[in-house]
Amino acid sequence: MTKAKRQPVAISIPDRRDAALTLGPALLVFAFGFLSPLINLAIESLKEFTPGRVGSVENAAATVQNYYELANQAFASVLMTTFWIGGVAAIIGQLVAFPLAYFIVRRISPRMRALTLGFLITLVLSSVLIKTYAIELTFGSVGIFRPLLLTLGFSPNSREYINIVVTAGLVHSIIPVATLTLIGAMQSIDPRLLDAAQSLGAPGWKAHLSITLPLSFPALISSTLVSLTFAISAFVIPMVLGRGRVLFISNVIYTRFSDIANYPSGAAISLVMLAAALAVVAVITFAQAWKVSR
Amino acid sequence: MLHDMTRRRFLGSAAAAGIAGTMTGFARSAAAGSGNLTAVEWGGDVVEAMKQIAADQNAATFNWVLHQGGAGAILPKIKAVWPNVDYDYVAGWEGSFNSMVKEDWLETINPADVPNLANIPEKIIIRDGKGNIKAVPRAVGGMYFGSRTDTAPIAVKTIDDLLSPDLKGAICWPGPTQSMMLQIVALALHAGGSETNMEPGWKLMKELAKSGNIGRVAITDIDFTNSLTSGETSVGFFAEPGWAAVAKNFPVTRFTKDTNFRAFLYQSGFGVLKNRSNTKATLDFVNFAISPDMNSLYAKVAGEAPLNSKALTPDNLKHLSFTSDEFSSFVYVPDYNVVLEQQDAWSKRWEQDIAPLL
Repeated sequence: MTKAKRQPVAISIPDRRDAALTLGPALLVFAFGFLSPLINLAIESLKEFTPGRVGSVENAAATVQNYYELANQAFASVLMTTFWIGGVAAIIGQLVAFPLAYFIVRRISPRMRALTLGFLITLVLSSVLIKTYAIELTFGSVGIFRPLLLTLGFSPNSREYINIVVTAGLVHSIIPVATLTLIGAMQSIDPRLLDAAQSLGAPGWKAHLSITLPLSFPALISSTLVSLTFAISAFVIPMVLGRGRVLFISNVIYTRFSDIANYPSGAAISLVMLAAALAVVAVITFAQAWKVSR
Repeated sequence: MLHDMTRRRFLGSAAAAGIAGTMTGFARSAAAGSGNLTAVEWGGDVVEAMKQIAADQNAATFNWVLHQGGAGAILPKIKAVWPNVDYDYVAGWEGSFNSMVKEDWLETINPADVPNLANIPEKIIIRDGKGNIKAVPRAVGGMYFGSRTDTAPIAVKTIDDLLSPDLKGAICWPGPTQSMMLQIVALALHAGGSETNMEPGWKLMKELAKSGNIGRVAITDIDFTNSLTSGETSVGFFAEPGWAAVAKNFPVTRFTKDTNFRAFLYQSGFGVLKNRSNTKATLDFVNFAISPDMNSLYAKVAGEAPLNSKALTPDNLKHLSFTSDEFSSFVYVPDYNVVLEQQDAWSKRWEQDIAPLL
């Protein structure tokens, strides 16, 4: 079977005008609200910081020192912690959300589905801070499960345990978002395809692997990207559950800007973080495009 | 109804809304001019004390804004909008005031406008390089080591005891930007250094981080009080309002008059910001707030020792009252300009050398 070749489509002048009129306001808001702060941030990141001052001083000298000083083991370690814990949380989130979304779409009554959707939306809209403290009070160092943890030989004070609690906090917030994202994809899969496969003798697990999974793959990638973006930019969850011992990049950026007022360094870290996040998103997107094109 | 909206009606409504908004703005400006002040205060007992003081006068009404985290966290918020700042006064201490003086954000205080300044010790008043008064002190607080007596696994007697295996996970250590990192200056002093020679302090800090005794790094004062009151940790270094919050319900030992520890005293006070329309009303209120009666009330409610020499120091703050001899034995006054200029370098040092060990 040959693949249809994509042909460029000519757009007429009235269409272009309509497109400009439609997109114009949105582009203007984007340029004003997103691009200009980003440019400002880039300029700030290239200024010299005078210790003891708030932000860069007027006519500060230009420098790349703020980027240069990030080339150390400590910053790499914070970056790795952020992506490692964030990535694990995003994947665990999909492993839970995927079957959950399928179950909600295919296995429960419309009334229960509506109730479940309402519950998931409530979870998305409820305060992250409250959910985080709920986890802390349950699984934290003085949580109600502390005696059980100690009995099982887990030290609630160990770094490994704290990492797990931070991951759990992120997963807790990711699951409702990922499930809602995947529900749309599940609904668009024709259930008769699965029935056909099973009536032709495929076992249930094989039918799911060869039909449900490939057809929902683009949505799964989108959901993973959304979850990963949420996880690596998390601020409150690592701060509270990490007991100040787990540092995410967002926490370091906050410290630079808010506590020691070194705006140039904070700006440089923010841009490095943005570049790293975009690189990960680009790799996943290109990998997906490559797989689809094969 | 929305579907009845014509272009003319929409423009008319928009104009009316614009006029109403402008009038509200004028009304707000007028109110501001007549003594509606916006004040930045710490939360908990400190703002409660200030609210009680404000309730004792009629000249000014208040919008209270609370500090989020350390006092230094207000600086970026001011910088972002300067010179159109929305705050009439900001409660702060040496750490934040020195930064504000460098940025030239603070109004110069004429002693004639704040007559009660005459009862405040001259030595503690913050001035700029030209000798101008730049902040009005109201009380003395302290930052020091202490422990929850009922839950501490061992009786801590020296800083070296912090490394004891018995204290596994039991220490609540201030975050790198809390207390201007005076906690590490305290370690440096113990090991023979100072704020100008921090290497001994960093060495000790590394040992402490490696020991596994730090159960929580407190990023905010709420982290500290939650950690101590929940029993998660039992030993720490924090400012008096934090210890006072814990001491409300649990027995606390403060190492303020102990030769093995050094306490850091700080003044809390008012920084009056420039470019405001109601400076006179702000100064009148500040003067009222440091009067003997109000300063006594502040000390009683907020848990910081009063600075007005005619005010009463409550019994529960005697640990913050030092004779001259005690002052030289137990208290350390660092060079705050050095401390301020080192914050950036120390914070990076924490991230590089200490955070990975926690």
